[in-house]
This record gives sequence, C-alpha cells and structure tokens, in this order.
Amino acid sequence: MKLKDQFRFVRQNMKKNRTRVSMTILATAMGCAFLIVLSSVGFGFQKSIVKDITERQVVTAIDVHGKQSMKQGFTPVTDKDIEAFEKMKNVKAVTRRMMLQQNTKYYLKDHQIDTQTIVADFPSEMKAGFKLSSGHLPKKPDEIVVGYDFATNLASKNAKPEELYDKRGVLKDQYRYTGELVGQKVELPVKQNENGKQIEKVFTFTITGIGVKPTKKWLEDRNAYISNDRLKEIEAFTGTPKGMLKEQNNPEPPGPKVEGVVYDEVKVYATNMEAVKNIDQQLKDKNYETYSVLNELKEVNLVFLVVKAGLIFIGTIAILIASIGIYNTMTMAVTERAPDIGIMKAIGANPKTIKRIFLLESSYIGLIGALIGTVVSYIISYTVNLALPLIIKNAFGENAPSNFTFSDIPVSLPLICIVICYVVTIISGLRPAQRATRVDVLKAMRREM
Amino acid sequence: MITVKNVSHDFEIGKKGRATIIPVLRDINFSVNRGEILTIVGRSGSGKSTLLNLISGFIRPREGGIWINEEQVSKLNEAQFADFRIKNLGFIFQSFQLIPSMTAFQNIELPLIIKGMAEKERRDKTEEMLKKVGLSEYQDHYPGELSGGQQQRVSIARALIVNPPIILADEPTGSLDSETEEDLLTFIKQLNQDLGITFLIITHDDKVARIGHRTIELSDGRITEGELV
Repeated sequence: MKLKDQFRFVRQNMKKNRTRVSMTILATAMGCAFLIVLSSVGFGFQKSIVKDITERQVVTAIDVHGKQSMKQGFTPVTDKDIEAFEKMKNVKAVTRRMMLQQNTKYYLKDHQIDTQTIVADFPSEMKAGFKLSSGHLPKKPDEIVVGYDFATNLASKNAKPEELYDKRGVLKDQYRYTGELVGQKVELPVKQNENGKQIEKVFTFTITGIGVKPTKKWLEDRNAYISNDRLKEIEAFTGTPKGMLKEQNNPEPPGPKVEGVVYDEVKVYATNMEAVKNIDQQLKDKNYETYSVLNELKEVNLVFLVVKAGLIFIGTIAILIASIGIYNTMTMAVTERAPDIGIMKAIGANPKTIKRIFLLESSYIGLIGALIGTVVSYIISYTVNLALPLIIKNAFGENAPSNFTFSDIPVSLPLICIVICYVVTIISGLRPAQRATRVDVLKAMRREM
Repeated sequence: MITVKNVSHDFEIGKKGRATIIPVLRDINFSVNRGEILTIVGRSGSGKSTLLNLISGFIRPREGGIWINEEQVSKLNEAQFADFRIKNLGFIFQSFQLIPSMTAFQNIELPLIIKGMAEKERRDKTEEMLKKVGLSEYQDHYPGELSGGQQQRVSIARALIVNPPIILADEPTGSLDSETEEDLLTFIKQLNQDLGITFLIITHDDKVARIGHRTIELSDGRITEGELV
C-alpha cells in the first residue's frame, strides 16, 4: 500500500471518531504546551542572565590580573608580558590602563568635575575599539580625551552642593556646562604631602577629543584619559608611582616597592569569540590569573543546562500522561475497527501495513498535538512576558528588571518537544498497532468455524 | 491448481491443560483443476467452512499440506500468505464482508489500494468493474444503502478487481432471495466460461452445487462422495 493511501486511511479513520480524537489531540497539546512553557522559563532566565553578563563586558576581552607562581607568588603584569601577549595568535589588541592614585578634580572656567583619571595607551585602545564622537586623539602630553558624560557632569562651582542635584541624583540643567568641550583647557590640581605639609601643582590640559556614548543605557563615561608622558610629569611632581599620595610625616611612598610599571587593568582582546577560549587557555597555562565573560558564560550555561534538562524532564511527564490517552484512543480504535481489519487481512493486506497505518494514526495525533501545543506555548510566552511586568508593578509596586525575559522559546525547544512527543506517541501506539496485526480474521468477520 | 493432501484438522475447546479436542477434518485429499468449478457440499458442522478457511490461509492445518499453483501455501507465514492472497485469490462471503464506512466504489477499490496501484489506474479499473456488475449508479452508496443482491455484487466486484485466477466462495447465495441467487449463479458460470476463473464454492444448497463441474460431499469431516486423489 502506498504511503499516500495509508495517510488517506488514517485521515478517514480519524474523521470517524472526531470527538475522541480531538480530545486526545487536546490532551497532547496541553502536555506539549506545559513542557514548552515550563522549560521556556529556564531558557528565559538564562537568556536574561547571559544578556546581562555580555552587556557588562565585551565578550572577546580577557582580563589578565597578574601571574601566580610558586617561587615569586603573585606578580603584576609587566610591559614584557604585554609584549608577549601582543605576539600571541588571534590577539587583536592588548590595552593597559593605570589609574591616577588620588581624587582628581578638573576645573573648566567656573565649572568642576570629580572624576577618575585614566592613563591609557591610546594606540592599543583604538585597536581594541575605543572610538571618539568628536575631536582627535592626544598628540602632545598636555592633551587629553574625556568620556562622553564628562560635560554633563561638569557642575557650577558657584552653586551650593545641596542644590546641584535633583531627587534622582542627576545634575540640574541650570548648573551644567553647556559650552563646547573640544579645544577647551581644563586644570587638574595634583596634591602631595611633603614634610607634613600639603603641596599642590596645577596641570593644564587641552581637551582634544570626546569618547563615544557608552552602548549601554545605564553606563556612564565621565573619565579623563591622559597619556603616559603626562603621568610621568605628575609622578615627577609627586615623587611616587601613579601620583600616589604619601602619608603625612612619611617621606616614603605607601605600599610595597615594585620595580617597573604596574598596570591596574590589562585586557587582551581576541580577534573573534572562537579564539577567546584558546587564548585564555594559553594564558592560564602560563600561570596568569585571567577572567573572561565566556568563562563565566560557560559556567552559567552549564548550570542552566541542568535546570533546563530538569524542566524538560518534568514537562515530559505531562506528555507521558497524555500518551495514556493516545494508548486508550488507539486501543479503542483497534477494537472498533477489528472487523474492518479482518476484512483487509482477508483480502490480502499485509500485517506490517496494518501496523504502519495504526502507528501513523498515533503519530498523527501526537504531531498535531505537538504543533497546536507549540502555537499555544508561543502565545502564552508572549502574553506572560507582556503581562508579568504589569502584574509585578501593580501587585508589588515595583518595576520589573528592564530587558528581563521571563519566558523564552528558542526554536530548539519546540523541536525537542516534537521529538519527545513523536517518540512517546509511537511507543504508546505500538502496542495497539501490534494488537491490530494479531486480529483474527475469522473472529473479526464473525465467521463460524 | 489447488491440491489438498492428507489434511486433518481439529479444534481445542476450553482452557489449556483441560481442553477438549474436537476433530473437524480427517485425511482430506482432493484437487481442483484450472478453469473448474468445484462445489463442496455438506450439512452444517461437516467441516466444509473449515476446509475453505484452511485453503484461504485463515487457519493452518494440523496435518497435511495445501498447494495452490504448485506453491505449498500451508507453509507460508502470515505476511507471505497476505501477499499470495492479493495476487491469487478472490473471496466471496455469505455475509458479503463489506466495510460499512466505505462506499461501494471504495470497497471495490480496496484490494487495488492494498496492492499499491496508482490512483488513476485503479480509479479507471474500479469504474470499469462497477459497470461490469451493473452498479455504476450506486458507486457512492454505502453498503447499508444497498440491497443484499447489490452488496453481493459489490463483494464479487471486489474479488474480481485484481483478476485472481481462483475465487473461493463461502455460501455465496446464503443471504440472497431466489431471483438474485439465480442471477449470481449465472454470473459465476459466465465468469468461469469467459475468463477461465477457477471457483471453489462451499454450499449446502443443491441449486448452487449443481453449477459445479464436480461436487465433493463432506460428512463428519471426511469426504464421502466425489473424492479425488
């Protein structure tokens, strides 16, 4: 018998018991929807957490904190190390930053800003993706680049501190600096303690460029980026590395003595995501302490893999319950159609064909149920994601975390569900199908022997 | 064409271990020649239907063997016999054995579907067969909407549609009135003469028995008349 005719038979048979078949399909659809929606919560949480992690940091970046060895203990990353990193395969750039080790306040005419001063290696920063929204990179030691939010945080010197900010902690518009930044001169007073007295030297910079707006809404870049040459001038004044303040009455710089440059932040940028794992492994093999988002993601994904497997397992129980309905429907179908099966066998239908027809029927029920369940799941998932923030707001008076996905259905989930459903329905239809092949022709035709 | 050699059969009645064995057929030997109509007569319980069921492959003989077209069908398994049946045997039953949820057309078409014939070809063949048995205008009727004679004609059409060389008939006129019975017997003779189809007919009706070229009588599971070895 041709497959097309077998399908025609199945459709005809299903039409005969429309109500019973519909109920079985409904039960299967509910089972599938339960599996998908339940698992979608796991997928949704994973998506939200992964999104949060990847938004915080560039996925191709590897933070190198230093080297840990048995002999020397922990040693910071040196210029020699950086040189070696840059020679590694698939490394796009190695950025190194130092922080000026004192509270820095910049003055622009009658405005001021408390911010952090970062000593950056501009060529490597540009290679790693640092971009300017206007102006150019510093060409002389007294030139600096400022972050995108530098201007909006430049507050008036003349206003009382308690009047400067609104309830949300944002600088009020009337106290903001509104003029042009590029080309403006800013002053940075650098302090030091000498012989029990505090001395100060003002360093003047010209702003040559402004960084681009951070891609994340919640990020703010108000930093000032200075060159290494300017840092050396500051160090010459303070007499300490990175402009560190000496303790009162102690002429020696605080902390242990370290030779050479000590970077506060070293990042190795891979050319692509696939290369991160290999570079990270190579660094680890050389005893460097590293951190990469991908490593964190790996651990997060592992945890969620277990969670999702558990949820899918629980969801499968619902399909197994629905399979009892399929078994029941198919057993009744075999009993009811026994005379027809007998006639078909008497005419010359092969038992294998009869078995296949019944298996097709059970898998038909399973697949239709799975498809309906999938559609319903997508509707539920969409509704939940839409309604949940409103419910949280109304019920608890709090805003749900922005960009949080409560339920996410990737394509793989319905596919997993359909496969599970198909296997379960085949198994539940197998016994009735085998029973159909064993229908006794004479008994089925109620023939007297 | 059909050879039955030393066939004996019995039924077990009751639970295993305490079953009673009832002999049904004893040492049956006969053969049916190509193009022949052989009728088997006997009273109720004589074993004639069991003999037909054995030849049809619905049950297996306990002893002896059955050959059809020189193939020992009694040794074929269920699936092999199914394939053999669709190619070589047509069936006419006393109670017609039509599928009630299928129309006359679909019932006649069924063996061709089982055979795996292409839709266009089988539609043409079915229409032709419906014409042959004079039921073209009833093709969309369900068995319940047809008279006994019409149902039997559908049953015959279904048996003939695959052009089987042999037709096995079990009390073919048992559910028909005398006028329809006469028509059916004429039709069987016509098929035998025109197409050379071999018929093996089980009956307890003398009128039916008379259309046979030969007749075998069964009594208490043994051939008592017309035995051929």
